[in-house]
Amino acid sequence: MLSFIIKRVAQSVLVLLVVGLIAFAMFRYVGDPLDAMVSIEASVEEVERVREQLGLDQPFFVQYVRFLQGAVQGDFGISYRQGEPVLDIILARLPATMELAAISGTFAISMGIVLGVFTAIRRDGFASSLIMSLSLVGVSLPTFLIGILLIYLFSVELDWLPSFGRGELTDIGLWETGLLTTSGLKALILPSITLGLYQMTLIMRLVRSEMLEVLRQDYVRFARARGLSDRAVNFRHALRNTLVPVITVTGLQLGAIIAFAIVTETVFQWPGVGLLFINAIQFVDIPVMAAYLMFIAVMFVAINLLVDILYVAVDPRLRNQETSV
Amino acid sequence: MRIIMTSAALAMCLGTVATAETFRWASTTDPQTMDPHAVSSAPVLGFLNNVYEGLVRRGRDMAIEPSLATSWEPIGDGEGWRFHLREGVTFHDGSAFDADDVLFSYERASSEESDVSSWFSPVSEVVVVDQYTVDILTSAPNPIFPDSIANWMMMDSGWAGDNGADRPARDAENHATRNANGTGAFMLAEREPGLRTVLEPFEGWWGEVEHNLTRAEFTPIENSATAVAALLSGDVDMINPVPIQDAARLASADGVDVIQGIEARVIMLGFGHEHETLQYTEDAGQPNPFQDVRVRQAVAHALNVPAILQTIMRGNAEEASQLVSPAMRGFSAANDMRPAYDPDAARALLAEAGYADGFSFGLRCPNDRYLNDEAVCQAVVSMLAQVGITAELDAMPVRNYWPELREDNFDMYLLGWSPGTFDAEHPIRFLVHTPGERLGTWNFGGYSNARIDEMLPMIQSEIDDDARQAMLDEAAQIIIDDQVYVPMYVQPLVWGTADSVSLTQRPDNFLILRWVTMN
Repeated sequence: MLSFIIKRVAQSVLVLLVVGLIAFAMFRYVGDPLDAMVSIEASVEEVERVREQLGLDQPFFVQYVRFLQGAVQGDFGISYRQGEPVLDIILARLPATMELAAISGTFAISMGIVLGVFTAIRRDGFASSLIMSLSLVGVSLPTFLIGILLIYLFSVELDWLPSFGRGELTDIGLWETGLLTTSGLKALILPSITLGLYQMTLIMRLVRSEMLEVLRQDYVRFARARGLSDRAVNFRHALRNTLVPVITVTGLQLGAIIAFAIVTETVFQWPGVGLLFINAIQFVDIPVMAAYLMFIAVMFVAINLLVDILYVAVDPRLRNQETSV
Repeated sequence: MRIIMTSAALAMCLGTVATAETFRWASTTDPQTMDPHAVSSAPVLGFLNNVYEGLVRRGRDMAIEPSLATSWEPIGDGEGWRFHLREGVTFHDGSAFDADDVLFSYERASSEESDVSSWFSPVSEVVVVDQYTVDILTSAPNPIFPDSIANWMMMDSGWAGDNGADRPARDAENHATRNANGTGAFMLAEREPGLRTVLEPFEGWWGEVEHNLTRAEFTPIENSATAVAALLSGDVDMINPVPIQDAARLASADGVDVIQGIEARVIMLGFGHEHETLQYTEDAGQPNPFQDVRVRQAVAHALNVPAILQTIMRGNAEEASQLVSPAMRGFSAANDMRPAYDPDAARALLAEAGYADGFSFGLRCPNDRYLNDEAVCQAVVSMLAQVGITAELDAMPVRNYWPELREDNFDMYLLGWSPGTFDAEHPIRFLVHTPGERLGTWNFGGYSNARIDEMLPMIQSEIDDDARQAMLDEAAQIIIDDQVYVPMYVQPLVWGTADSVSLTQRPDNFLILRWVTMN
């Protein structure tokens, strides 16, 4: 078990290094940061001086090694755009993304399971057909469009919810949260739905098909034959047995929610790391881009590592395989 | 009954507090710093014009008017300029403004770390004559110097020294990056980079207050659709810019106004004058037809600029005849005619130059720099096709665009230019002068003309207005005769406001809060 974990950790580190190398090799094609940094009236000499100061005259692998040297000491450099340490900027923006991801994840799981069970039990009913058709819309419309449509409906037409931003924030020491004020909670509704809609439909369809499968099983028939109530059969026996694959998928989707918050954050001007990344690309802010990409890579690698370890813990067959190899 | 009345009264109170005097506005770009010398970009300088002030400032019509200096006059035979400072002006922290702050602001703004140091390249020395008199000496006579320093903002030497902000910070931050201490009508109350910046009126401001704001909140909203929705839902009171395609719809919406004007920016096509051969398409390697002035003139005649303005700009822009718009100082009224749309003349010119069968080439274009830039380039491609030349369009984000142009990767390209000094000398200096270390730095095509190079320093130092204008007219004539560029139109400015807001739209696209009133 231990050797397995060590091996996986080593592989993860390798993945991170490769991600970083590819990222730095790509930065050359993102544009020249100097254009955004110096005045259009600057002389050629001034531009070259700033380029040298930033180390941008060096080949990309030298820049990469410098980045790594700083990164292992917790120093991710200074943002070209804001002139502040990148780590501070990302830590300041992370709570916004985390709160959004947590709320939309909760929305996706709870609504997904409820609707999935509902459409499985009433599989031929009018309501479930309607939900199934609407869910197709949810999967096929791009996030960007869904966000804009929600804004026009709920902010412009009905004037119930704010069109952008996080509302009023409360400082709770480590970060500023929007969960404690009415305006903060209201501001969360539309972005959470926009971000979670795809995952919700995914979970709903998964739960539904698993439920339909399970409901055909013998033990469910026997349970019904024993005269148990529908409720007990559906929820205690059937639903429980559908949850294993749902949990696996949900775990993997959590990373996706954080990583793909970029579009939602742009539409709602949500001040999270995704919006920061978009800004960084427009400004060719290499330190911020590098740190963000590494952060996302670390997150995915960590989640995968965790899942792998959980599998080993849960499934004895994998353990035996390891020892035999 | 009483409860209802109380709550109604309360609602009214809340209503006035929330809407009447807090002005919330949004734009696509966050000013990246609060330091007036660290970054020379329109979002930064425009925003900080509300907080900091210069010796001179621009009025509603862009004319130079007194600000921290009450008057100024040339010294002797053009050795420099003497500025008489306004007395009794204080910075937001209460310290007094005097000549030492001017000297300090000069040293700071002209330092190596500053991004605005090019404004001071004509300056040889700044001398404090007495507490309220400053001499700015120039190495050559410089008639437009006062025009060129409207955005040079004064910082308090004591405040900067105490907070370790003696020099602007380019690749790190210092106290002045997030804090501000100017003399302007508004002071910085809150600053959260990328999220929100809040200004409040400065009670001790020296000028006469015209606005009625108690608070002004700025939020960057990158996505234009979100910004339009925020304006329509009343979450913000003003947005800049309004996407051209949404302007008509917004104008007809309730409670919202659209304010249109034209910017100082002229959109033009440029050529690879220096390229011996074409670089793109199947004709790559063939001699470069654009080296022939007749071909460049043919391009000018082939473009139906009124049609571009009608369809792509929805009638919001004006045609341009030269590198600056008529509102700029030194505009050449004698050359105020753009080549007529005349496809037959274009074909004749091409035939005369030996390209009766046409040719093909590469057109480079940004897709996120100017209003509808890519659409304009597509229209150019189809108009050129009608006279028999085939342009292959390659549109890209501006962050990739400048490096491509600098690498000479173009046959023809699109460029927009807004003269920072609001003077016709500016584009000659950067776009037409032979490329060098400091001059002609944006002359990507490498055009070179001895007479232009000879005239530029003379234009820069000519004190007599008529003689100066004569030289500017001559330069404009050369640029038109040689068809160095094909100027097309002056870019429009389109702002959206709640109809309770009245403000002034200045052609430099700065929002000046002193002119904002809400009712």
